[in-house]
Amino acid sequence: MNSSPITTWEGAEAYFTFADSPTAIMVILGLAVLATAGAVLASVLHENHTYIDYK
Amino acid sequence: MEQTAPTLAELQTLIEMTGTINMEVFYWWCTGLMIIIHAGFLAYEMGASRLKNALASGVKNILAFAFIIPTFFFFGWWIYLAMYNGFTPDYEAGAAGLPWSMNMGPNLTDNASGIFWGAFVLFAATTASIFSGAVIERIRMSSFLILAIILGSVVWILGAAWGWHPSGWLTVEWGFHDFGAAGCVHMVAGFFALGVTINLGPRIGRFLADGTPIEIKGHSMPMTIIGLMLIIVGFFGFLGGCIIYAGSAQWTTIFGTPVTLSAVSFNTLMALSGGIIGAYFVTRQPFWMMSGALAGIISAAPGLDLYYPPLAFLLGISGGVIAPLADKFITNKFKVDDAVGAFAVHGMGGLIGLIGLGIFASGFPNVIEGAPDVSFTGQLMSAGVMALLGFVPGYGLSWVMAKVNFLRVPPKAEEMGLDIVEVPLEAYPESVPAYSSEMPATKVTATATA
Repeated sequence: MNSSPITTWEGAEAYFTFADSPTAIMVILGLAVLATAGAVLASVLHENHTYIDYK
Repeated sequence: MEQTAPTLAELQTLIEMTGTINMEVFYWWCTGLMIIIHAGFLAYEMGASRLKNALASGVKNILAFAFIIPTFFFFGWWIYLAMYNGFTPDYEAGAAGLPWSMNMGPNLTDNASGIFWGAFVLFAATTASIFSGAVIERIRMSSFLILAIILGSVVWILGAAWGWHPSGWLTVEWGFHDFGAAGCVHMVAGFFALGVTINLGPRIGRFLADGTPIEIKGHSMPMTIIGLMLIIVGFFGFLGGCIIYAGSAQWTTIFGTPVTLSAVSFNTLMALSGGIIGAYFVTRQPFWMMSGALAGIISAAPGLDLYYPPLAFLLGISGGVIAPLADKFITNKFKVDDAVGAFAVHGMGGLIGLIGLGIFASGFPNVIEGAPDVSFTGQLMSAGVMALLGFVPGYGLSWVMAKVNFLRVPPKAEEMGLDIVEVPLEAYPESVPAYSSEMPATKVTATATA
């Protein structure tokens, strides 16, 4: 997978992976947001399950 | 071999790049030192928890740190850059903080965004850790995480945009000055914690039926005290991060006024010692002596760039005296169970700091165009804004969570201890079991095989 937005370091500015592809950035960012929100949701579900024995 | 002297343009480029790299190096190590604050909070809160909750408190603290970082990337930094006017965003100014901006990643033309973002993330995580200690041993992990994210990646940074920003409206309109973030970090976090603690309620056994408070002792006072000392160490990174280092000119405060590290060194150490002495004077307890050191620094934080050092010392003493008394007052009078005195140390310390600056440093000029000089009324009104900014969302959100029964763990789980119920592990399995025979058999089995 060629994720480089540059072909030379001469005059390079933003050079992070997929910097030249807004679509790819949005997909990766969206996945990161989902992973973060999903982890909080997983915590809620874990606690709901755990607390069944202590109601 | 022929030696050629560098041209003036080459020398100029070299000097500028050296300045830029020095700037990066400076904030890099400030950020690293600030991580020690979190090592401190971790030890502090685990030590202040009973044996049955030590690990759960640690997990809570670690997760707060972990969740603040991505959420501050997603929206926190944008809030800081865009919301300095109040509630109306400046979309143009905020563009560099959008998570898809070319500034929010490796960029050879921007050496500043990442290193400043990193320092601010650590400030953000500090607010979450301040809040964390107040609610140990009975808050649900998930509700804590949601509240910590809102505090660390929304609420405090809104306060920072207003009162800890070169164009923040509190400074532009009222001449607000707060070198060490006593308002946006400490007051906001302390008052947020107070709001949540009111709705969360006290730990089981904290008060007798007639309201008499019963002290709940943590399982390791030495761990707590060492944790507090680590927070003090990290404070030097925190305060370094409060300085703007442009690389080629005098250091400035975040408000653009000149400052030196020498000034901050004088006053931080004097306030620290004042806080310890003040707390020792009224409590004789090591826990409050070290908390007093924090309260002392916070009480002088807004003017660490301005004070005559013995004045910082006296303000430190006042913080060290008032914090334990304030904690005792809200405990006895309002039956609030703030497990580590977070409101007293950070909320009250910040309040003393902001008002103290208004009393002792009025008349200092601001450099922001049109901004009035530092004044007592400006500091007092700004302190009111910071208190409300912390308390209202903390109280309001936790009130809703409490109403839908999402704020607190079930009483049986609280009595059993959150390490076994939620983690599930024991802190010291070879010496003292952390569960009792009342525990459901399935949980004992699960723990034994974990």
